[in-house]
Amino acid sequence: MGHAGSIIVDAAIDVRDVHKTYRGRVHALRGVDLFVKRGEIFGLLGPNGAGKSTLVKILMTVISPSRADGTMLGGPVGHKGTLARVGYLPEHHRFPDYLTGRQVLDFFGAMSGVPASERRKRAAPLLDLVGMSDWAKKRVKSYSKGMRQRIGIAQALMNDPDLVVLDEPTDGVDPVGRRDIRNVLQQLKDQGKTVFLNSHLLSELEMVCDRVAIMVQGKVASQGTIAELTEHGRRYEIDLACESAMAARHFASMVAGPALPPGAEPPLGAIVRVSAAPDVEASIERGTLILRTTDSERIQPVIDEIRRRALTIRAVRQVRPSLEDLFMQAVVDPETGQALAPGAARATKPPRSSTQGNGGAA
Amino acid sequence: MIQTWALLVDAYRELNSRKLFWITMLLSLLVVLVFGAFGLNPSGYSFLWFKFDHDFLNSRIIPPTKFYKFVFASIGIPVWLSWVASILALISTAGIIPDFVSGGAIELSLSKPIGRVRLFLTKYFSGLLFVALQVGAFTVACMLVIGIRGKSWEFDLLLAIPVVLCFYSYLFAACALIGILTRSAIAALLLTLLFWIFLFALNTVDQIFVFQRENAAQRIVSSERAEKYHLRIAENQLKALKEVGTPLTDADGRLPSGITDELEAANPLLASTRKNLEEARESQKMWVRWTRVVAGVKTVLPKTQETIGLLERYLLTEEDRNLLSRQEQYKATGTVESEAEDGEPQDDDFRRTQIAAEEADKAFRERPVWWVVGTSLGFEAAVLGIACLIFARRDF
Repeated sequence: MGHAGSIIVDAAIDVRDVHKTYRGRVHALRGVDLFVKRGEIFGLLGPNGAGKSTLVKILMTVISPSRADGTMLGGPVGHKGTLARVGYLPEHHRFPDYLTGRQVLDFFGAMSGVPASERRKRAAPLLDLVGMSDWAKKRVKSYSKGMRQRIGIAQALMNDPDLVVLDEPTDGVDPVGRRDIRNVLQQLKDQGKTVFLNSHLLSELEMVCDRVAIMVQGKVASQGTIAELTEHGRRYEIDLACESAMAARHFASMVAGPALPPGAEPPLGAIVRVSAAPDVEASIERGTLILRTTDSERIQPVIDEIRRRALTIRAVRQVRPSLEDLFMQAVVDPETGQALAPGAARATKPPRSSTQGNGGAA
Repeated sequence: MIQTWALLVDAYRELNSRKLFWITMLLSLLVVLVFGAFGLNPSGYSFLWFKFDHDFLNSRIIPPTKFYKFVFASIGIPVWLSWVASILALISTAGIIPDFVSGGAIELSLSKPIGRVRLFLTKYFSGLLFVALQVGAFTVACMLVIGIRGKSWEFDLLLAIPVVLCFYSYLFAACALIGILTRSAIAALLLTLLFWIFLFALNTVDQIFVFQRENAAQRIVSSERAEKYHLRIAENQLKALKEVGTPLTDADGRLPSGITDELEAANPLLASTRKNLEEARESQKMWVRWTRVVAGVKTVLPKTQETIGLLERYLLTEEDRNLLSRQEQYKATGTVESEAEDGEPQDDDFRRTQIAAEEADKAFRERPVWWVVGTSLGFEAAVLGIACLIFARRDF
């Protein structure tokens, strides 16, 4: 059992303080804490080199952590037996060319310890689920990238897993295929399975994920539901027609910023105060007044003030930041505005000695 | 068990998809057909429908069953299966481990509930399937040929399957380790071939040194015989000289230069004989020392040729070997006299070489099986242990 705030929740993945330092002191993970509830679709995102794949590989025992604490499906991280209940599709996977689609399912099902009779029973519905029934007897070498992804997802489900870990599952898949995969993920969720997605496609994640985590420089920068993560960035935007000099003066007089000469327009993006709602943080972006509040009542005096000053309102909208906005916010240094360096940078000093690892061969 | 079986089935599917596997199988079949096309008859031998008269190679001297067994144990296994088919097998299987650990493929295998050591060892043993199938098919086909043409069912031929498999496993263990280290099929193949050539060279050096040791031993035997002969002559001459009062020393009472005693002075040939004997003894000491060094080195390495040699050791009796060896033919002609007419022993290089070769061969045959196979399997276990350790600890 894991913890999420004060509520005790059954965890699919609950890892803490995961470190990984490769030879040459490349510090890929710098203390990752991650919590995935059972039965949810969880998305892991981050820029290249953030350590997402390293984390997934640690969970799947492909690489051993320098230090890791926590559990996956109730078993310690690195426990081989637990993997019988996990389905995995790696990024850039390569199935043996000499196998047919059905043989791929059979082989990897057997490798997960599924008996032959079960494998025979499960293969056909899974091939049907991913739309590969017609190609089941064709060799993998004749498959397109998208078809390989579909077969990859099917093989990850051969052991009827409680947790499905998919690394870039829509990579190389066309829009129709992506929709199909989203439907598959939804079905898995409906069956009570936990899905752990690692993807660059933020819009895809936004559509299907219940919760996400953003990894930057080998650490989880933020995690939670999309609503929780975007709460801070929710705002109202009021587009004003202020092309004329008079309108601009009226607009400027309505707001007050630091060291702003009388009648002068505040610089774009600067934090200003609107006299009608002094307790609401606001800013101006090219004729758009941005009010950082989710309370519609609080913007009414501002609209009244705009009206009083005979300014034209072109649009009023409630804006919620997208996952992409959150992502960009996380990966850009707020001070310099530059993208942060990848996590896989050389460590300044070696990490502490390992307290737990799978030894690679648990 | 489900996983082990799945890996074996996968290995078979992989082999089945490789053209080289079927090419090698086809070539094996051709070799068996050529083998079966030979026949012996009372006047000579035949190939297909052609007949050739031969004084020695005929069924009156060599029973057909012995002939086929000899060809199988002396050519079929050591030449075809141990060299040609094994090189083809290495070419075909060198990529198994590097492909297995390549990016994109290994992640899936490692993410399954199977320990890394078991996974690696199962993959290794499944790689031996290629040779097991090849040697199995070849041996059974040869057994059928001998059964049909030689009218004798020689089930002991099946011993070839474990022996050749054992021999190939030494090389494949090295190939697997190199494959794990380099992740390159080409590097695994070339370095394994180099290792094999090194083992072959080492075995050749061993054979040469053992032969030289035995040759030196034979030189000691002939030198001792010559010394004994010349000593007898010297004693007689000394006695005769003393009777007539001929002095053996000069005026100062000294023996001639290079002569150590009166006997040598009486018969100067005794001195050279003794010198030869001394040299032969020194030579033997040196070769004994070097054969020990080589044997020591070989102890920690796989003995590929000697392992294959076990097959001939068990399939052919000494009588079979004598019947078919040139040595026996040479002995049967009786053209070499061991002593000249006056009774002086002759140092016959040819004969001594023949006997030394025979003794060297015997020394090799007398090497215990536990040493030949046991230490080779020890090497294999050590190499596989290192490979397992690397595989178990590596991040992929």
